[in-house]
Amino acid sequence: MNRKLRVISFIALLFLLGCTDFEYSPNQIFDKDSPVDLNAKNLAKLNLAINDDTLKFIVFGDSQKSANELDLFILKANSIPKVDMAFLAGDISEFGLLLEVKWAAQQLQNLKMPNFVVVGNHELIANGNAVFKRMFGELNYSFIYGGVKFICHDTNSREYKFNGEVPNINWLSKELQQQTGVQNYVGISHIRPFTSDFDSNLDIAYLYAFNNQPRFLASFHAHEHTFGDFFPNNSRVPFVVTTNIGSKGFLLVEIVNNKITYERISF
Amino acid sequence: MSVYLSKKCFLVTTLFLVSINLKAQKLKFLVPDAAVVQYAGSIGTASAGISYDLFKNKRGNLDLLYGYVTERKGGAFSTLTTKFNYRPFVIKAGKNLIIYPINPGAFISYTVNKDFDLTWDRGQYPKGYYYWSEALRLHLAFSGEVKIKTLTLFKNDQLKSVSVYYEINTNDVYLINYVQNKRYLHITEIFKAGIGIRVSF
Repeated sequence: MNRKLRVISFIALLFLLGCTDFEYSPNQIFDKDSPVDLNAKNLAKLNLAINDDTLKFIVFGDSQKSANELDLFILKANSIPKVDMAFLAGDISEFGLLLEVKWAAQQLQNLKMPNFVVVGNHELIANGNAVFKRMFGELNYSFIYGGVKFICHDTNSREYKFNGEVPNINWLSKELQQQTGVQNYVGISHIRPFTSDFDSNLDIAYLYAFNNQPRFLASFHAHEHTFGDFFPNNSRVPFVVTTNIGSKGFLLVEIVNNKITYERISF
Repeated sequence: MSVYLSKKCFLVTTLFLVSINLKAQKLKFLVPDAAVVQYAGSIGTASAGISYDLFKNKRGNLDLLYGYVTERKGGAFSTLTTKFNYRPFVIKAGKNLIIYPINPGAFISYTVNKDFDLTWDRGQYPKGYYYWSEALRLHLAFSGEVKIKTLTLFKNDQLKSVSVYYEINTNDVYLINYVQNKRYLHITEIFKAGIGIRVSF
């Protein structure tokens, strides 16, 4: 064996053995160490926390393709005092693939506060739906913390060919019913109503569902990669959109004495 | 039904006999030069298929593989793969042993599943809404291979050689992720491994 070949073989061996993760397919739904039920685990963590009379949370969105900026966001979020929790309002991934979602979920573990992931349209392509359900949980879910009910849900109508079932108005109406121990309601989903990717047949029903609950404070969204506040059809309820993580911005929301305020933060 | 079955049996038998005779005939190039089985490597929990030698020096090959990801391993779905491989370096490690230390390759894998579209539904999405294919992945691969020349070792002209290879690959969308998150991701994180056996006859 001549010297050149020996060097090549040695480098080749190092390089090949450097990557030892066996993969069955980029489209596989889970692997041997992918996390499960992260939303439920974060809720358990949240329930251990002691809440005061101010509820403070972060809404951020569209972190796909922005791992570097996501790290910066985490630094910034961790530096804000007394944040109870954070919500990723959809599009944790670009291609709906396990590996991407897994990377992002690992990064989110660096957030000090409990965090919840809401489904975006990019999680509903390929096997993304199954990947999401296994790693985070149901696509429509809710929980109550500090007297506020957070209703996280799927509004990615286009991915269901506008079949009239997404968003699920029946489910939402039930979630919005008067409930003891709930002083306020907040909605979090990826796509806001009255936009092209939201089922236009459900715009009004969705708007009414929220406005009919007098204790409903605001509906938070992402998807548009720019900030915005909307009051379609003179809606009492604001539809508030956060920008994408790549644009280095997010929303900081506070609820005090049944009043909600939100602030756009850059990092 | 029985007529259909017997017809089918006849067809299969004929095809089998024809394939045996092919070697001696004009269609000899259709007879594969090797059979391949593989574990992992991003095209199935396990995959198997046929392989053709390419070029005069036979250092290239083209594999056609069927793979299956089992439910227990994150499936279940099937894949179809066309793989090209070239061996630029050859080390004769012994009379009957050859090492190919690093072989670049490329393959296209197709995920066979109703939820995976080759192209996006034009009725469902405006043009350019998504820019990649769900079902097709383009992979870039590097492998190392050790070949035992059974032809000379066992004086067996039916079985020319048996090789074991270890292969790492990445794909178009992993590369996009890497480029977009370079500071965060390490290059080794987007390369995934597989191992296989190639039997030449």
